[in-house]
This record gives sequence, C-alpha cells and structure tokens, in this order.
Amino acid sequence: MLFTILKLFHFTPPPPCYNRPMKNMIDVNHFKMTFDGKTVIKDLSFTVKKGEIFGLLGANGSGKTTTIRALLGFYTPTGGELLIDGAKYNPENTKVTVGYLPEERGLYRKENVIDTMLYFGELKGIKDPLEWSRRYLKRVGLADKETEKIEKLSGGQQQKIQLGITIMNDPKLLILDEPTKGFDPMNRRLLMEIIEEHHKKGASIIMITHYMDEVERFCDRALLLKDGTARAYGTIKEIKQEFGGKSLDQIFVDVYGGDYE
Amino acid sequence: MNKFTMRVAKFEIMRQLKKPAFWAATLLIPFMIGLIYFVSFVTSAHVEEEPAFDENSKIAIIDDAGVLSKRVPYLVHDDKDKGIEMVKNGEVDYYFYIPADFAENKKAEFYHISEGLEIFNNDASILNAIMTQDAASRVDALDVIALTNGYEIVDNKLTKDGSDANALGKAIIPFFIGIVFFMFIALCGNRFLLTVVEEKENRISEMILTSISSKHLIVGKIIALLVLGLIQVVVLVVPVLLLIFANCDNAFISGILSSIEIDPISITLSIILFIASSVFYAGVCTFVGSLVSTARDASSFIGPAIIVMVLPLYFMSLFMATEPNFIVQFFTYFPFSAPIALMLRNGFGTISIPEFCIGIGVVIVSSVIAIRLAITTFQKNAINFNIAKPKFLRGRK
Repeated sequence: MLFTILKLFHFTPPPPCYNRPMKNMIDVNHFKMTFDGKTVIKDLSFTVKKGEIFGLLGANGSGKTTTIRALLGFYTPTGGELLIDGAKYNPENTKVTVGYLPEERGLYRKENVIDTMLYFGELKGIKDPLEWSRRYLKRVGLADKETEKIEKLSGGQQQKIQLGITIMNDPKLLILDEPTKGFDPMNRRLLMEIIEEHHKKGASIIMITHYMDEVERFCDRALLLKDGTARAYGTIKEIKQEFGGKSLDQIFVDVYGGDYE
Repeated sequence: MNKFTMRVAKFEIMRQLKKPAFWAATLLIPFMIGLIYFVSFVTSAHVEEEPAFDENSKIAIIDDAGVLSKRVPYLVHDDKDKGIEMVKNGEVDYYFYIPADFAENKKAEFYHISEGLEIFNNDASILNAIMTQDAASRVDALDVIALTNGYEIVDNKLTKDGSDANALGKAIIPFFIGIVFFMFIALCGNRFLLTVVEEKENRISEMILTSISSKHLIVGKIIALLVLGLIQVVVLVVPVLLLIFANCDNAFISGILSSIEIDPISITLSIILFIASSVFYAGVCTFVGSLVSTARDASSFIGPAIIVMVLPLYFMSLFMATEPNFIVQFFTYFPFSAPIALMLRNGFGTISIPEFCIGIGVVIVSSVIAIRLAITTFQKNAINFNIAKPKFLRGRK
C-alpha cells in the first residue's frame, strides 16, 4: 500500500540491499585506454551503485586494474570519463572516502608495523590511529608484531596490514584488487568477514578476484571483461541467465575459451 | 601550510631521525674534525710567532703625541694625510700614525697596501718593536713603557687604485654560506633521491596517492629533506664554529676573524640564495627520483646534474674578474650552475645587486618548475614500477 502511494509520486523503492537507496557510486562512460598505440580498453561503460558489492572479473591483462587506475586518476583515459560520486577523483577534495588495496603489494619495508599504520591513519585523518591500529592488529592476530619491521613479516601478514590501512578510515568506496590472493582458507574467511562488515556499514565495494565462489557469495553485480570490452554485465543472476544458467566458473571458461596467457 | 604536507614532513623527519645511519653519516665528519684537531693538538710543538719585521722594509712614522725620541730613524715630520699618500705612492711599505691624544685613547693607526686576506699579517707589531727598542735607550724608559702599555693599533688597509682593500674579508661570510651549500649538496643528494624512489620501489605509491595528492606528498618530502639537511649542516658547522671561537688567540684564526667584514646586503642575498638553491636542488633531485623507478637508476641521472652545479668552481679564476666574460654570464644565469656561480660572484664582490637579484629570480623560478615537474611526473610514474629509464631515453623496440 505504501509503495503504491509512493509510486504515484514517481518514487522508486530501494532494492533489497540493506535497505539503502541505490545511487551510483561509480559511473564509467565510454572509457577508452590506449598504451603506445595498443588499445587496452575499447569502449567500456558500467556503473557501481551505492552500497553494492561489484565484481570486476576477467583474465590477467584484460584491463581490470587499468580501469581502476584510470578511475583513481593514475592514468588519464584516452576517451570517456570515469567518475566517483559524480566527479573525477581527487583524494583531498572528495566527499567519498576511498580505500584502495592495489594489486601491487607493498609497504615501507624498513618501518615497523605500528609506525606505518599511524602514518596512514594520520594521512587518512582518523581520530585515534593508535587505538584503531592496535584493535585491528589484535583482530587479525598480529598484536605481537606491533614493533616488528614490515620486512620481517610474511607475505600474508603484510597483506593483512595493507588491508588494515585500506579500511582504517571506514571508506565509503572500497576497491580491492585480489584481496585474498595467496591466503589460506582461515585467513581468507577472516578477511571476507572484515570486508562484509564494511559493506554492512554502507560501503560500496569493487572486488577484483579470480575466485568465482567469492563473486557468487558476495557480489550483487559483476562485469566480465575481455579484450577491453564488457562480455557480461549485470546481477549475478542476470549473467547466469544470459549464459544458460551456467556457473560463473563455466561462464569464465566459455568466454575466454582457449585464450591462455 | 596544508595538513597533509605537514603530516608527510613529520613522518619523513621522524623516520630519518630514528635511523642510526642518519646519525652515523651526520656525526662522522664532526668526529673526524675533532679527531684531527686532537691529534694535531697533542703532537704539535708550540711555536712562538715572531713579528715579521723585514729590515729592508720602508717605514714612516708620524708621531703627533711625541711618544718616540727624535733618534728613531723612521720619523717623518709631516701631516697625517701625507703618510697615507706615501703608502699609496709606494714610497713606504708601512706607515704608523700616533695621534696627539694617544695618551688618553691608547690608539695608533697603521696604514699599508692590502695583500688580500692577510691572516698571517703581524706587521702592525713593528711599531711595538720600534717603541720597545726606543724605550730601552731612554732615561725615561719606565714612563714610555707605562705610556705605550696595552695600546691598540688600528689596521687600515689601502689599495693603490682606491678599490676595496678588504674585499676578501667581506667575502668570508658569503663564501662560508657557499661552503655550507656545497656540504648540503654532498650530504643530502642521495637522500633526496631515495626518499622519492622509495614509494615506487616499495610498491606503495598507489596506496599513498589514494590518500593524498602527489603535490602534498612531494612538497612534504621536500620540506622534510630541507629540515634534515639543515640538521646535518648545523651538526657539522656548530662544532667547527666552537673550535674556531675556542682558539681565538691563535694568530691564524684571529687573522681570519679580524678580517671579517659584515656586509648586510651581501649576507642577506647570500642567505636568500642559499634557501632558493637548496629548494632548487631538492626539486631537481625529487624530479629525477620521480622519473625513474629505482635508486640505482636515479643516481646515474643526478651525477651529471651535480657536476654542472659545481662546474663554476673549476672556473673560479674567471669569477674574480670585475668585468664578467661570457662563461661567467652563462654560469650566472643557467639554472643548474647559477647557485654556485652567484655565490662565487657575490663572494668576490664582482656582481651588482640587480644582477644578483635576477640570478636569484632564475633559481626561484627554476625551483618552482622543478617541483611542479616532480609532482606531475610522480603522479604519472607512480605505478611504473619497472621502468629503469624515462620513456624518452628508452630505445625503440
């Protein structure tokens, strides 16, 4: 009854995603990218709605990371526009806080864990970076590594620190490039829990991953990239329907066929 | 100042100050200076410095106070200015004037042709020797000794052509600032490069640049590096100054100190130039660091830049000429060589204030350009983790 009345006033009810309105967090319109004469992205358009988890899928070299880098201003697009909350991204002049866990993993190797986290905490303007960092380290089982130099930590431990730095300011947009790459199942579960918590707090999340089970479980919508164009785009259900009800794994294999790198 | 810039600067300063390597590099030179001083102090024998009194020197004394007896051979009965003329004409080497109020003021005047920076000059003590000899042969010796005890000789350097006789004395502070700049280049260059390359080497630039802009990152780093450079230079210079002031009675050091003449304009311009040059150097280093992806690649680029910067030192004699030639003019206005060229010309007093201001303007504009280039290049190359050389230097495939 209420929705009927609202429809009279052209109000669209929100989709069932934690009861938040679904507006666009990201708009990519006719994005083209060329490097040294080689076209990497041909004509890509998609949106990421506020509050959703969006899967950016594709084989290695398909242009996923390039798209994210162009979105964050590391690359100037050859054509088209990439907007976050309706504007080009500027880290210091945006209403939307962004957390980015890049594909290239790295931290200040010679610094200790807590100093590194404090630095990023200060840069991101969080209130009590020390308290936050200690709470996070305890949660991910690294409380005893606080004064350890980053270079002494294992790859997985470093990745946990990086994820902590990425989420420490409760970003409204979280971009995670293969967040669980190289993790054991226990830690993978822990990290996905943390990511889900941020989603529940209202963050929009773009997840680049090769684990199709993660996509099926967590993502509201996805885009499958091949040769710089979208080969599949929509909700997980829509994508599956488009490919005759196949699993995402099978769809991925079908799209890429024998294109091994 | 922007809060992001300050946060970057604070982080960079604190992390460097915590590093033992920073303090090892900073304290090494003062330690070596102290060691050399200690060894020379322990091993050297004390040598009495005899006043240099050449028997063949031509001396004139005008004694309006009547302190000396008439038997002293150098006495000239004329007015004060005649003595000064005699020095300028070369008729005498040394001219002493004892004014009529000598008994009250205890001051005599000494005139001679300047030989440049006369740090070993004991010629003024010739008058002492003459007075002592004269007193010894007099019946009123005790009165003369009492009269001449503890008097001061005012040293007046003259030049034959009327130019500034203490040009080198005026140059000491500008040259000192130049040396400090040279030390700054030598001590800080590597760190300037490493600090910018570090983000790329550690694959951290993407995470940083989604938190702050490259502008605030680079400017924050430059501020931190300038502060660290200043700390290093202060740690280096303060012990040297303390040593100098602790040895004021040494003839060599007192010679230098007494020659120092403070020219406020020259010193102010030198300080402005030092700051602008340091920022320019920092800007160039950060630009080079932002172009390449590893510290090793960066060092191969910065080497030629440092050589060009210090090149004016190899042509130092040209900078002494009052009329500058083409090479001097080129070095003065070419941004890389301008800092040291301007410091040299300012030190030698062979540059006019308008020329000096234009030179400083060139350095300031170049600094701004270098920093802007560093910011843009860092943003563009932030994710080029594997490029060893900039694109324009890479060969075609």
